[in-house]
Amino acid sequence: MLSKISESPLYKIARPESIAFFGASNNFSAMGSSILNAILTDGYEGRIFPVHPREKKVFNLEAYARVQDLPAVPDLAYIVLPTKIVAETLRACGEKGIRRAVIVTAGFNEVRGEGTARQEEIKAIAREYGIRFTGPNCIGVVNSHIKLNATFLPSQKRTGFIGMASQSGSFITQMFDYLGPRFGQGFSTGFSLGNEADIDMADCIRYLGACPDTRAIALYIESIRRGREFIEAAREVSLTKPIVAFYVGGSETGKKACLSHTGSLAGPDRLYDGVFKQCGIIRAQSVEELFDFCYALGSCPLPGGNRAVIQTHSGGPGAAAADACGRAGIDLPTLSPATLEKLGAYVPHTGSVSNPVDLTYTKNPLDFFHAIPKILLEEEGADSMLVYFLASAAMIHRALAGMGLTKAEIDAQVEKIVEEQCASVAALMTAHNKPLLGFSFLTRENPFIAGLQDKGVPVLPSPERAAKALGAIVEYKRLREKLARSFEKAPGSKPQAET
Amino acid sequence: MDPIKTAVDKGRTSLSEYASKQVLKAWDIPVTREVLVQTADEAAAVAEDIGYPVALKPCAHDLMHKSELGCIELGLSGPEAVNQAYDRIRAKIKSPIEGVLVQEMIAGNRELVAGLSRDPQFGACVMLGFGGVMTEVIADTVFRAAPFDAIEALDMIRDLKYRAMLDAFRGQAPADLETLGRILTSLGRLGLERPDISEIDINPLIIAPDGAVTAVDALMILEGGPR
Repeated sequence: MLSKISESPLYKIARPESIAFFGASNNFSAMGSSILNAILTDGYEGRIFPVHPREKKVFNLEAYARVQDLPAVPDLAYIVLPTKIVAETLRACGEKGIRRAVIVTAGFNEVRGEGTARQEEIKAIAREYGIRFTGPNCIGVVNSHIKLNATFLPSQKRTGFIGMASQSGSFITQMFDYLGPRFGQGFSTGFSLGNEADIDMADCIRYLGACPDTRAIALYIESIRRGREFIEAAREVSLTKPIVAFYVGGSETGKKACLSHTGSLAGPDRLYDGVFKQCGIIRAQSVEELFDFCYALGSCPLPGGNRAVIQTHSGGPGAAAADACGRAGIDLPTLSPATLEKLGAYVPHTGSVSNPVDLTYTKNPLDFFHAIPKILLEEEGADSMLVYFLASAAMIHRALAGMGLTKAEIDAQVEKIVEEQCASVAALMTAHNKPLLGFSFLTRENPFIAGLQDKGVPVLPSPERAAKALGAIVEYKRLREKLARSFEKAPGSKPQAET
Repeated sequence: MDPIKTAVDKGRTSLSEYASKQVLKAWDIPVTREVLVQTADEAAAVAEDIGYPVALKPCAHDLMHKSELGCIELGLSGPEAVNQAYDRIRAKIKSPIEGVLVQEMIAGNRELVAGLSRDPQFGACVMLGFGGVMTEVIADTVFRAAPFDAIEALDMIRDLKYRAMLDAFRGQAPADLETLGRILTSLGRLGLERPDISEIDINPLIIAPDGAVTAVDALMILEGGPR
């Protein structure tokens, strides 16, 4: 385990204070230009030194003809050059004293033949100069907390707590528009790994495990190269931070796709199932699950067990959640007499107090955000909660309009109410230290949904997805306790947690 | 004497059932009681010792698919049956064999398979699966990469889809999970400490009505052997 995050070879790659950039010009359609453009657009605050043989300025930054001309030794070299000149560039970087690189250029081991020889050549140069690098054949790195987006697409400039290591660049760069509008999230840090000629998945797991901005780790895996190191790193990190993996090399069709993508040899599906289990890793069956699970795991405290209460005011969504809970291994206990007594005052005669608790409507709509979930979280027979949110700001608008308020007064009131109610739900989750997952068919365009998410209450887009995510949290808790028992029984092997 | 080293020195790429089980036994994996014999009389004497019924099998390092040769004699219940079975085996197998194996019959209709294989990325990997004639159809197999401990082995067993079979089942006792776990961890340690073994196949691993778990047949492929 890393005793300090700065010991990781990825430290200066994820948090460079300065970057030498190779391959950007004033030709905006070039890949290098797109990446540099994304870095500048997101507002990276470190220094950038474009290196270009002819241009005097690139994107208004002073450019240098050769890396040896740079006035300082940058932390990181970003290489987006034609394949043939990557090796000589890496050597020049080594001579200059640069010790970290991201090699975006493709045409190496993934094309086999000469490409394999070229990859061996850059590995040898890196060894000679003590350079550690990601790639080749990758997209790059993002770190929302230092506004670094070194990929070719603009990000949504959102910070977030999901850290990602991906053997496909797309799952970093093309997910900005996925995580943002759905969960209000960005990546804490994201690495695209490409061919993993040097730095690989195991290094990323250790880095993200030690990264203070990261609360859950997402892995997109086509093949694991150093199996033993991967297991060791993941077992240690899973003890304190959840890891979710999406593996696509297990089927015959997936295996072929992986070979041509990054030149990796994928292994049998069932073996990867077992390896993930012994590492405490939750396996996602889809891209959607990968991010749902990370989002929920990063948002919630761990539950005591697998018993949940469902709160709804609509029968169908509640029943759908109950059904999905059954499939996800979540039990729905009968509420205790104490809980029923407390609930009595809040439940209309049309409601149901079996589990799901279906309120049908509430006498005071705001009870749905405080009084009722508080009672249900106090239920000792349950470890977690699922809540269906149909909160409509329009309903509050109407109610306030009926009271004769002006439009400006109404808007201000609605904003205040939304803010208070969402904060109340978030505070309840923290106070009771139980997972509370929302589900809703509304999107972030609804201020309640955005408000809940931004206050730290995860809201997923369907009852099934919320139930599955809760199942993942329960499973992580179980695997983590298993790992803890294993480390406990083998004294001396217990990793030292970072202070 | 190390049977694996001896076999490798002789240029062999596999161990016989008997030698394979001798190795497993040394690694704390319960195997059937069995003796390798050279004559019919010896077979009958050993059978008496083990207790009827017994099984007779030809034993040689290069006899990998004994059941396909139709030369496994099961459920032999007396000296006469053992004598006749012994002669049938000798008549059927023309290639040189190390002898005939006289083996206790393990009762039990709950069958598992377990094994060791080598993955290019993860190295020694242990497999546990649902056994019997439907094993390929049911395809209920779980894996772990070595090394792993007893706690992990229990989690591995828990991953079997049909794990209910290991509970109390139709009047039979629950399987001895501690021993089953030990078999799995031992296979893992064997894989790590003996790189000269490329594969181990225990098939079947039978769970007796009292819950005891025993390796009834086993095969070890050595380094350089067929995969």
